[in-house]
Amino acid sequence: MFPTVGGDAPAFSTEVYFQGQSTQLSSDQLQGKWYVLYFYSGDFTFV
Amino acid sequence: MRYPELQRLGVEVIGASVDNVYTHKIWEQTELSKMTGGTLPFPLAADRGGHLGSLYGVYDQQQGVNQRSHFLVDPSGKVQLACLFPSAVGRGVEELVRLIKACQEQQATGGQMPANWQPGVATLPGDMASTGYVWKIWKAR
Repeated sequence: MFPTVGGDAPAFSTEVYFQGQSTQLSSDQLQGKWYVLYFYSGDFTFV
Repeated sequence: MRYPELQRLGVEVIGASVDNVYTHKIWEQTELSKMTGGTLPFPLAADRGGHLGSLYGVYDQQQGVNQRSHFLVDPSGKVQLACLFPSAVGRGVEELVRLIKACQEQQATGGQMPANWQPGVATLPGDMASTGYVWKIWKAR
């Protein structure tokens, strides 16, 4: 569901690619920080 | 790239598409590295099946991809910004930086940011006393 501004961001846990490695990233790890989560349609497109 | 500026603002960045980590790796090696001059400084989520995109309401089931969009989340875990973009039009990072600065200053001062607000421009008190007198504080451009 598209979030409500001012409402709680969805909790998530996802596999990520970061500097040659596959790791897990969860919203818990981002607690207490500002973050931007951006979506794009696919690699090899512009973002 | 504007990433250093986002870092200075204390903002973490996470990209996400439905591609798997292997595709992300090859994309970084063959294309992104030529734009950034090295490895990508932030993680790319391998959102197989659009699970993360569905949580944010941006997964297009018919196309099987996440729609171009971005979200700003504050330290208390609240969504401060939610933007959707046309599929063939790229986003504006400059505008995102402006919005981050505005949201951060809003939280720090409690002021309200008028349209086209930039750092250094007066904010509005948003109280009863200023109602009807905003034109004195803020000039529309």
